[in-house]
Amino acid sequence: MSFEQMKDALVAAAERAGLEQYEIYFEQDETVSVETLKEEISSFSSGVSGGISFRCVVGGKMGYASGELMTPEAMEELVSRAVSNAKCIDSTDEAVIFTGSPRYETVDLPCPALADPALLRKTALELQAATYAESGKVGDGTQSYMMSMVSEIHLCNSNGLSLSNRVGTTAGYQAAVVREGDEAQEAFEAAVGSRFEELRRLPEAAVRKALDKIGAGQIDSGKYNVVFDGEEFRDFLATFSDVFSAKQAQLGLSLLAGKEGETVAAPCVTVTDDPMRAGYAMQTPFDGEGVATCRKHVIEGGVLKTLLYDLTTAKKAGRESTGNGQRGGYSSPVTIAPYSFSLAAGDCTREELFTLAGDGIFITECKGFHAGANSVTGDFSIESAGFRIRNGKRAEPIKSFTVAGNFFDLLKSIDCLGNEVRWSPLGGFTVFGSPDVLVRGMSIAGK
Amino acid sequence: MIAKSWAEEVLACAVSTGADFAELYGEHTRNQSVFMVDGKIDRVTDNLLSGVGIRAFLGTRTVFASTSDLSREGLLRCAASVAAAVGEGKREQAVRLNERIFPNIHPATVVPSGVEASERASLLREGCFAAKEYDESISQVSGSLSSVDHTILIANTEGLYTTDRHIRTRMAVQAVASRDGENQSGSDSPGAGCGLELFDRVSPADIGKEAARQATVNLRASYCPAGVMTVAIENGFGGVIFHEACGHSLEATSVAIGASQMAGKLGQQIANPKVTAIDDGTVPGAWGSVNIDDEGTPTQRNVLIENGILKSYLIDRLGSRRMGMPMTGSARRQNYQYEATSRMTNTFIANGPDRNEDIIASIENGLYCRKMGGGSVNPLTGAFNFAVTEGYLVRNGKICEPVRGASLIGTGSEILRNIDMVGQNLETAQGMCGSASGSVPTDVGQPLIRVSTITVGGR
Repeated sequence: MSFEQMKDALVAAAERAGLEQYEIYFEQDETVSVETLKEEISSFSSGVSGGISFRCVVGGKMGYASGELMTPEAMEELVSRAVSNAKCIDSTDEAVIFTGSPRYETVDLPCPALADPALLRKTALELQAATYAESGKVGDGTQSYMMSMVSEIHLCNSNGLSLSNRVGTTAGYQAAVVREGDEAQEAFEAAVGSRFEELRRLPEAAVRKALDKIGAGQIDSGKYNVVFDGEEFRDFLATFSDVFSAKQAQLGLSLLAGKEGETVAAPCVTVTDDPMRAGYAMQTPFDGEGVATCRKHVIEGGVLKTLLYDLTTAKKAGRESTGNGQRGGYSSPVTIAPYSFSLAAGDCTREELFTLAGDGIFITECKGFHAGANSVTGDFSIESAGFRIRNGKRAEPIKSFTVAGNFFDLLKSIDCLGNEVRWSPLGGFTVFGSPDVLVRGMSIAGK
Repeated sequence: MIAKSWAEEVLACAVSTGADFAELYGEHTRNQSVFMVDGKIDRVTDNLLSGVGIRAFLGTRTVFASTSDLSREGLLRCAASVAAAVGEGKREQAVRLNERIFPNIHPATVVPSGVEASERASLLREGCFAAKEYDESISQVSGSLSSVDHTILIANTEGLYTTDRHIRTRMAVQAVASRDGENQSGSDSPGAGCGLELFDRVSPADIGKEAARQATVNLRASYCPAGVMTVAIENGFGGVIFHEACGHSLEATSVAIGASQMAGKLGQQIANPKVTAIDDGTVPGAWGSVNIDDEGTPTQRNVLIENGILKSYLIDRLGSRRMGMPMTGSARRQNYQYEATSRMTNTFIANGPDRNEDIIASIENGLYCRKMGGGSVNPLTGAFNFAVTEGYLVRNGKICEPVRGASLIGTGSEILRNIDMVGQNLETAQGMCGSASGSVPTDVGQPLIRVSTITVGGR
């Protein structure tokens, strides 16, 4: 069945069921990926998957059902499952099927296409060869990975709204394993691009990063000035992005509740969500409810300007949706999330941040956010690795320590920012970016 | 789902360019969840996942393709794309399949998909309301009741054609306690490989109360001090420590390519002699159990470490080819869109020789971790981290005041040697484990253990 045929079948079934307010959301994804090991292609995979979601308002409540079976019977069943699921909802939140925004921005990217598998194979092999050529210490476990994906979305509803978007990206990922004596270390680098020329920096960067870790020692527990690599600090933004959700705030699960208009961060902190940012492969003109997306400062000069809203939370707060009601996938309900979410750059180079830190540590690796951080309390205690900073310069590598604190305190204690935002290259629809960040007096647990 | 004759045709197409093996994995999975927050049923989700994954091997090279198009043409197109990428030319190979039925040791008596969402909602209500009523400091409660009804079909060019149906059910309750502009949280989330009869033996109200209890303990806790300490880790989810610190490093996925600290160590003393660890996919009705793995191999009880000596890895078909060792029934995948890889099932440290009271009494100054959160590991270096979600300081052999915000870090090889006391109250708990082949249900477990020295992250 084509999308149009499924849509017609769903509309007919919805009308037979006497439904007046409903929405159809269809997603189709195509992926292709190549993996290399020991300088050979070890695995090649491709996939086509797609699903359809139907949601409808029954007695003021929203019912959802979704599936991948594309048959006329399956469409009929989707409608009856959604109706039956609506009946057990007792939330008093208003269920809304949207009527449409006055205007939608246009995606200014070339129409995305799946990369040629032959090119991906070639690039992966070139990456692999270049990585082994970097150093005699590079060995088993070194993998190059290329992936390409396109995703197409159609959203239409009983109010006559009909929207579609197609996004895609191709990226390379390099893992380098190096060995010296008994010690093995690895490091990863990733970037958007399909040709070796675009990804040329990955092998050198991954190998250098891995070699730099060799011989890392432990440090004493205590308070240290910390420079976070932007690639790590963006993970703090990702982990705690829920605290900016109006839904979490309305439920009392975000400590930013009721703080719009108040100072919540240091004056140098500006955090922006930009769904149409140039260079963002997933540019999205409308959200999962059909609302036009927009660029906004969430924090500006340390002041919390707005939380992120969908239609339901906006209605409750007596304001407009910010266009952040996303569908994480066709089978997920509407959830509030940012698109391209970043801490704005300051004006210091990395070296200047080291100088400002004087004596401290440079954190280049943070792990286990899913367990070691809690967005409801803001507390975190995160396994880290990096380098000592001595006399304002990067010194010896260090590992096996934790950095602990509270996200809300961290926002207030940011001292200085680097001059380049480092974006996450892969991932789902949401990407996070951050410059290097200097924070003073953080708790470190080592030996 | 897919007739035997179609499966034969599809597999023959997949090996038509010279592959030496091909498999077909078909799936229909119904995922149904009800969510509650703020005292109200907030969302109901209901998804039917269906598709196939086709994989071909040429030596240790694999080609995999998946599609949600289950028509004969869709399947053949998918198989043809595999054939085109794995080999060249034309090498006709006939495929004959024989149906096989494996015993079902994980029955479900109340199949969730046959029960109205409103009935599932009332079970969840019971759990969430019990949390809310536990203490006046409980400011918010959220929860979910999820069930998965998973039917798979596996066929391969060795002639296997079989199906399996697996049902699992889980309730999760998160409670938040608030005081003076500060939030603390607690959670509990038991599950099992069975239907809604789970709640005949696990009371939803007890789940809610346990979540609320942890939140209130954390509300009166101060920050955990940082440093190197002796730590006692309680049973149940405490077993996440073995799962992360050692289990992942025993998976063929990393061992076979030399990216594991445990590669080449079979037969060596890698842990304290008090440590025996097992991965057992055959525990009836357990959360991490399955009748057959996702390559059609029956699951088994794998003794990984016996009295401190490394005895076995966890090996899938590709790992078996790479390592020249037999498969261990360990191939798992989240769904048809992922290639199966070696994963854990129900992994636990067995009961040891020490009395639990002696373990606590032996600690002069340290930390007692009653509940653990999740963690992660780098299998190459063995560096791991875990979150402590309910912890207490121990002084002079006595459990004292609660502390919060702690984590434990170290390396797998170190901690295995530093587990120097193993108690006798083995219990397991449920988790979702994420790795290369997606997110799969696994049990972790252990009795109370003592780790002589480990870095505690706090402030």
